[in-house]
Amino acid sequence: MIKKFIHQFASPKTYLFQVNRAYKYIFYFSLSVYIFSLIWGILFTQEDFVQGNSFRIIYLHVPASFFSQSIYGAMAVASVTYLIWRVKLAAYLIIAMAPIGALVTFLALFSGSVWGIPTWGTWWQWDARITSTLILFIMYLGLISLHNSFSNHEKADKLLSWLVIVGFVNIPIIKKSVDWWSTLHQSASITLTDKPTIDPSMFYPLIGSIIGFFGIVTCLIIISSKVQIFKREKNKSWIKDYV
Amino acid sequence: MFDFAFKSAEEALYMNGHGIYVWSVVIVVAFCLTFAFIHYKIKLKEFRKRFNEPD
Repeated sequence: MIKKFIHQFASPKTYLFQVNRAYKYIFYFSLSVYIFSLIWGILFTQEDFVQGNSFRIIYLHVPASFFSQSIYGAMAVASVTYLIWRVKLAAYLIIAMAPIGALVTFLALFSGSVWGIPTWGTWWQWDARITSTLILFIMYLGLISLHNSFSNHEKADKLLSWLVIVGFVNIPIIKKSVDWWSTLHQSASITLTDKPTIDPSMFYPLIGSIIGFFGIVTCLIIISSKVQIFKREKNKSWIKDYV
Repeated sequence: MFDFAFKSAEEALYMNGHGIYVWSVVIVVAFCLTFAFIHYKIKLKEFRKRFNEPD
């Protein structure tokens, strides 16, 4: 029953028609929320008592860091879906998400490094959080190169899915690195279980920037997945009708 | 909550010496996201063009 449901709603054709309807709304809403939250956070919140004005990088760094891991999590879910139910769309989504994940992880590393200069006095430190995030970035690049090196798409999809699942072990390591080891990187300011440790005037624009960034990343994944579908389904008759 | 945190636009740019860090990150993030959207839009356009060409 689950298989029937998934195959019915996860055909590339149905997916394209559904996301096309939602794309514009998600894009304009998330872009507005993201820009509004950035302006609010960068120009309208008071200076941090300890870090001064450099704390304003939080509105760009935290969403990027959060989604660098979330995208990998989504890739792992898609990999399991592909391996168990052989859903083609899941395989397309894995390779569509990988470059977006790499880009977002690069932004997390870059913003973190720049933030480190005034805060820690160094742009790089081989501590657990930063090193495990660098490993995540290298993993994204490795997955993209590996997929591109195969001429047989099905073989590549299968191998990629297994590698994504194996590589998922790095995600809890990134998340818990600040608790398990002594790191320069501070522990999480926002968790699902505890009250946020940052002031509400800084917290609300941060939530806005996370929501806005989520929408922007979703839109990027949608257009990247459209490219993958066009590439892989180019010989199907419905594609010409769709275009 | 919506009080401008700086006395002038220059101060907002300079941010007591931290402006270079904050604004460089803003520029790089904006550039990378815009570049990614444009890259995929061009790719989609190429596919559309190819599909519309007569066989």
